[in-house]
Amino acid sequence: MTTGQTMLTLGAFVFLSTIMLNFYRLVADTGTVIASGQDGILATTIATSYMELAQGVAFDNVTDSSDIAIANPSALSSVLGPEAGEDSLSQYNDFDDFNGATVDKQATGSNRRYRTTFSVCYANPNDVSQKSGGKTYLKRMDLKTWRIEPPAAGPNDIDTLRTSLVMGYFHFD
Amino acid sequence: MSALFDVIASMLFGGTLFMIVLTANDIATENQSTYNGDMLVQEMLTSTAQLVEGEFRNMGFGVPEHQRTITYADSTAISFLCDLNRDGNIDTLKYTLGGTDELLDTQNEMDRFLKRKVNTGQIMSVGAVTTFKLRYHTRDGEVLPIPVPWDRLTEIHVVEVTMEVQNPYAPYRDAAMVKSGERNALYSSSLWQQTRLASQNSRR
Repeated sequence: MTTGQTMLTLGAFVFLSTIMLNFYRLVADTGTVIASGQDGILATTIATSYMELAQGVAFDNVTDSSDIAIANPSALSSVLGPEAGEDSLSQYNDFDDFNGATVDKQATGSNRRYRTTFSVCYANPNDVSQKSGGKTYLKRMDLKTWRIEPPAAGPNDIDTLRTSLVMGYFHFD
Repeated sequence: MSALFDVIASMLFGGTLFMIVLTANDIATENQSTYNGDMLVQEMLTSTAQLVEGEFRNMGFGVPEHQRTITYADSTAISFLCDLNRDGNIDTLKYTLGGTDELLDTQNEMDRFLKRKVNTGQIMSVGAVTTFKLRYHTRDGEVLPIPVPWDRLTEIHVVEVTMEVQNPYAPYRDAAMVKSGERNALYSSSLWQQTRLASQNSRR
């Protein structure tokens, strides 16, 4: 075998190795994309579960035990967050109790664990995507949910699911 | 002699290349099959979940306040009232999990039908699942015993639904790779878990 033939053979091996590396990378990437589909399903179900819980509580601390209609939004809570003694989801009794909460949940039958953070604000009645500077009859909850276990291989491997829920105050006279 | 060495060396190189390509092809085929299975179960799961989610969300819709909403609650079956067609008539919806013996013609030995029945109509299958589990929580977070006693049905505040779908067919694994207790095929699985507020049921 001449030197030229040896070099040609080595070149062919390098070429083949490059192709194989790209091939295996492609296979791994496809696996990541498929796995992220399952992540999306679980993250969505977890987020909607919390939203369901939030829909089942009172609009505000001043309306959770009183049946009196609030005639002016200024009577609503100024500080959004849980009241004293409310330190878990099951104890939250009004919508803004979720403000600032961080909750981890493991899906039953899976080793995947998800973290959700909550943020609640008064929303602008003319555009609920905007925060309101003052108190209004609308509150918006923003949730961010992402997988924390098993940890992501890289920062770009896991998407954060962002969802929002708007709750309005109403009263039947 | 040199020519013979060249031929042997070429065969070695060629053989190695051939093995590499064959292995890659095997891996590609297996992965393709697995990914197809993953996609399939995710699609099956979301289509079944959409129906369950929608109807569980409307649990108690249109039901008069004096009437209880959930009439039966077990770990794999639930019966509740809801005005399905918004025509003023209250319908009774029942979800049950079938047995594995009803799907013996599929390769997967764990799949079974999720069934739905409206009033006295026929029992219809709404999808094939491997898990359909229900848990019931009170407003205080207490997990109610299964089946929920009749006098405690009105305490159900939250219904937790866990559903898993696996593909009915999957490529068999190499028998040498299957350990004790493991399954002999590469089944894909997708899990869905959600808590639904039985808000219309509370305090009834």
